[in-house]
Amino acid sequence: MSNSTTAQNKPESEQPQQQKPQVLEEDDEFEDFPVEDWPQEEAEQATGSASGTNEHLWEESWDDDDAAEDFSKQLKEELKKVEGSS
Amino acid sequence: MATTPILDQFLGSLGELVQNRDGGKLQDFLQIEPPLSEIYQQMIAELRQRYPPGSDSDTALQQRCEGLVPKTKGGSSWSAFPTFVRLYFSFMRDVNIENLLETYNLLKGLLNQCVLSLGDSQMGVVVLPTVLYLSKVLAKLAMGLDRRPELIAHILRMEGGSDQENFEKVTLVEKSANVVREAFIKCLTDRSGTPGPHAKPEGKRKGIYLMANLCLKLLFQCGKLRNAEQMFSSISAQSPPLAHFPASQRVTYLYYLGRYLFSNNLFYPAQIALQSAYDQCHRQALSQRNLILTYLIPCNIVMGRFPSQALLQRPEAQGLAEQFDPLCRLIVHGDYLAFREHLSVNSKSAQWFARKGILLTLRNRCEILVWRSFCRKVFIQGGYHGDPQAQAQRGPPPYLYLQKLLMATRWLQRKHNTQPSNGHVNGLAEGEHHGYGSQTIEHPADPEFTGLDDPQNVTKSDNDHEILKKYGDYLASDGYFDEAGNWQDNAPGNLIDGEPELDYQECEFNPYATSTYDDENDQSSLLMQEIESILASLLTQGLMRGYLTHRNPRFAIPGARLRGALPTGFPNVWQTIYAREKEDSHVPGWVKLPEPTATGAAALGGGGRVVNLSGARPVGNQ
Repeated sequence: MSNSTTAQNKPESEQPQQQKPQVLEEDDEFEDFPVEDWPQEEAEQATGSASGTNEHLWEESWDDDDAAEDFSKQLKEELKKVEGSS
Repeated sequence: MATTPILDQFLGSLGELVQNRDGGKLQDFLQIEPPLSEIYQQMIAELRQRYPPGSDSDTALQQRCEGLVPKTKGGSSWSAFPTFVRLYFSFMRDVNIENLLETYNLLKGLLNQCVLSLGDSQMGVVVLPTVLYLSKVLAKLAMGLDRRPELIAHILRMEGGSDQENFEKVTLVEKSANVVREAFIKCLTDRSGTPGPHAKPEGKRKGIYLMANLCLKLLFQCGKLRNAEQMFSSISAQSPPLAHFPASQRVTYLYYLGRYLFSNNLFYPAQIALQSAYDQCHRQALSQRNLILTYLIPCNIVMGRFPSQALLQRPEAQGLAEQFDPLCRLIVHGDYLAFREHLSVNSKSAQWFARKGILLTLRNRCEILVWRSFCRKVFIQGGYHGDPQAQAQRGPPPYLYLQKLLMATRWLQRKHNTQPSNGHVNGLAEGEHHGYGSQTIEHPADPEFTGLDDPQNVTKSDNDHEILKKYGDYLASDGYFDEAGNWQDNAPGNLIDGEPELDYQECEFNPYATSTYDDENDQSSLLMQEIESILASLLTQGLMRGYLTHRNPRFAIPGARLRGALPTGFPNVWQTIYAREKEDSHVPGWVKLPEPTATGAAALGGGGRVVNLSGARPVGNQ
């Protein structure tokens, strides 16, 4: 049964270049883990990178205060026009 | 009569395994998936020869299987099990894996019987590994068939044929989920072992999350998330703490729970569950970590927390930056039309989000953040920021005229309309505003209503003939009942309701007729109403702080002297939401270890245990 349900991976020589996107595109399924249990140390990120274990994962402050950015500059011009006319 | 040496030996071994209660080995013996080893092939050959399909040999085979369980006075002590083994043999003998649908049905029957055997309070636990094994094969088969609809098209036709209207299609995946749920319930309600929140899972309770996870996988696959609700509440009520189970089961369960909460818009508990799944997931399990992040990231974005570059550069985040980075940038940017365009059906990103099941959530929940950014930018460029000189005196608080926000919105709409690259019209060209309805939501032109703006089109006289030909039986019927209820004959071709041009000249049919079409002020006030509503929503949610004035519309930011107008009027989104949500960090569906300090005393006294009082006498009786 197993080989008939997963027909796409049967011929191994076929389209090796197509396989890579398939892994990401088709596999939305949460696969079974190969091991049953592991200690918490094995879950944590390796500390090899320069930033260490406690690198920050989330940006809480993202407001854009750059008045020189294009959108803001255009907006400023537009608001000026309105002020001038009214 | 043909002898069956292999079958005899096989039955002998099964008997021993049952006696030793060796569930793991029993599952190992009851193989069903090809490729099967030579010994199984020989056993199948014996079965076909000695017990060919038919009721007589089924009875004979059943009798042999009865010997597997000890006999008691009332018959077999575990009667479901011999029937299961007999079904196993018939399955091995009859299955034709070329026919996947038939294989599916046979296997479902086999699993059903195995789940019945699981129900036994003494012996059931012995078949737990077998139930899990068969469930997994069934799930794999059902999901495989689900992806190849041509193989099951004929049963869908057959089932749907008779009473299509009242028939809700139950897919093979959902049917499988229902069988697996039965097994889950048997595990959850097992009474053996020590009860209570401190007890480690024993017996069938060890299988609670294995079965729950498989069932959830199937429910997610067939899109029947609502059916999971009952499972989560039974787990909350009856399960031992999740912490007692192995890491693989914990992570898988928290992933599904998080996704379930996310799709119910419970973003804060969803974020806790998914973050915990991510933190506990093995660091080398990249595909699982990737899927967890696929939901953890949007969950945080909705609450105003964006993934850092450090996170997006992790190996498991492969492919996620290109989806979520542009989205975050659009939220910061503040152009609501660009945001909508990014998530419109035609865009590639939208297709990816839709496949992951998060498109609608992102559309509905992130747009308010875009508007916040927009208001903030308009305030920076066009608001009154307070007089720095007049600090000591009582000057007016910082404010923004909403008229400026209105002008800026119009500017955005014009900007998008003049970009020729758009396949469709997002904004409205100058002087081309709706006379009614929303000024910020674009309704795509419906071909059915084209030309209705031009009254000439509606009552074109050369259409009359066509219309009468089509609807004459209604518009100019043979007769009608008058006001008194008496029948009146009607001359052929005579319009019963009269001639629209002549008899209804005085009437106004356009329900929007009062809004004068060309009046710029009128549309502005419609847009102003919408802008006021959006701001009111931002204020109610705490994403902006201050108050609105309606006459001479303004957004004012009082109390800004100390911290400045921007941080006061536009507080940090995540911190605002977090401050509100952290009060209740309970995650429904996640059974935690009891906290040692608060409930320690009660738990020592056996808190949570049910005391049976059915034999107790009522107070006052002797």
